[in-house]
Amino acid sequence: MNTQYLQSVNSPMFYLIVSLVLAFITLMCFVFLFKSYKAGLKIGMDKKILTKAITSSATFTLLPSLSILLGVVALSGTLGVPFSWLRLSVIGALQYELNVAQIASQAIGLTGLNVAEMSIGSFVTIALVMTIGILGGVFCCIFFLKKYMTKINSKPSADEKKEDSSPSFGSFATTAMFIGLCAAYIGSYIGKLFPGGGGDHMPFMVAVCAAAAMYVFEYLIQKKNMKSLENFSLAASMLIAMGVAVIVNIVL
Amino acid sequence: MNDKDKFFREFNDSLHRLGRFTLILGSIFLISVPFLVGMINEVSPDGAGFIKGFMRVGTIYIPVAIVEFLVYAPMLGVGGSYLSFITGNVTNMKIPCVMNSQDIAGTSPGQPEHEIISTISVATSSIVTTLVIVVGVILMVPLQPVLSSEVLLPAFDNVVPALFGALGLKYFIKSPKLAVIPLVLMTAICVFMPGMINQTSVLLLPSGALALILGYFLFKKGKL
Repeated sequence: MNTQYLQSVNSPMFYLIVSLVLAFITLMCFVFLFKSYKAGLKIGMDKKILTKAITSSATFTLLPSLSILLGVVALSGTLGVPFSWLRLSVIGALQYELNVAQIASQAIGLTGLNVAEMSIGSFVTIALVMTIGILGGVFCCIFFLKKYMTKINSKPSADEKKEDSSPSFGSFATTAMFIGLCAAYIGSYIGKLFPGGGGDHMPFMVAVCAAAAMYVFEYLIQKKNMKSLENFSLAASMLIAMGVAVIVNIVL
Repeated sequence: MNDKDKFFREFNDSLHRLGRFTLILGSIFLISVPFLVGMINEVSPDGAGFIKGFMRVGTIYIPVAIVEFLVYAPMLGVGGSYLSFITGNVTNMKIPCVMNSQDIAGTSPGQPEHEIISTISVATSSIVTTLVIVVGVILMVPLQPVLSSEVLLPAFDNVVPALFGALGLKYFIKSPKLAVIPLVLMTAICVFMPGMINQTSVLLLPSGALALILGYFLFKKGKL
């Protein structure tokens, strides 16, 4: 067990740094909230509607937030609690974090995101790649949002309706890209099953268990109309498969 | 231009100034975290490793970020965009939350009210998420020895296969036609060239590009 690494990525000082960054971003949210609330009143919006927007958003967010918390649990074993807490409270998303951490770990010469191979030096490089790699959307806002929104708002509404009725390839591009990513990873787990790939069955078995759990969730969501499960399906499928890995390791 | 439109235009201009300032500051804080951790532990990031990693990550995620920005910004409005892109979880949480609030408030796109509801919704959602996770993390701290125990190590070492197994199923059933060729090809490469197994970060690029090209082809044929 890589105790020294785990102690460094869970140090009290790291918790303090993360708390300060989160405090700043939360303060930013409060400022935007108050400014918009006041502006809403000024343009004649009903106070009840504004309050309802706050309460409905808060209740709507509760369940997905619990799912994000499960994601923090899933990430914390390899990247430590404070960094997982930071990444999933602000800016990140579970899918992005793990993929980028895996890419970055291989770029610095590790076989993957394995605790045994990690050091605080490799962690710092991985964390930097994860941070800068996700700032694309933020930079787009800083440099282009004003111009883009002005252009959007100056469009006649008829044109907008025309555009909305025929979706562009852009809306499918992200799905296509993610299918490509998943294919590469699943392909590598199948490759590991063979003697040339090391005969390691665990990654493929975990992936299959996660897929099976996700299939059950998708069935319940789509066929049994249990829409509330949508928020939990990814994190819960992952945790079920990770639990199976622990059990298989103990049994075998 | 009436008084309401004039006020809203000035309000949006002030949000742009505030948004840019806070996003620049927020980005500096976020980037400084790995450096501060490195300073405390007397290590620094590996420059060559960073560039190599960033090139691979950027090739995939910069186009994704641009597409997300172009698609989501009009839905989120000015304030909602600044907040959503720094607070994250845009697709899985902010967008559905905003649409739900706008639906409840009964506003329509293009109205100032629509944008105000959006900003209020994103801000509230981000604050609630932060609070829920703070409570969760406080509860997790005493569990730290359990989470770092040897018994749970196989679970955390297989967190990436768990993610891509679950995510793969979700995306593959969404568009099986698009998944077959990349999956078969990547499997064949990993089986016949085992050296590529630990180079998935390199495989992601041709695999993603192939899926994009196939997706475009199927989209043009109306089969997606």
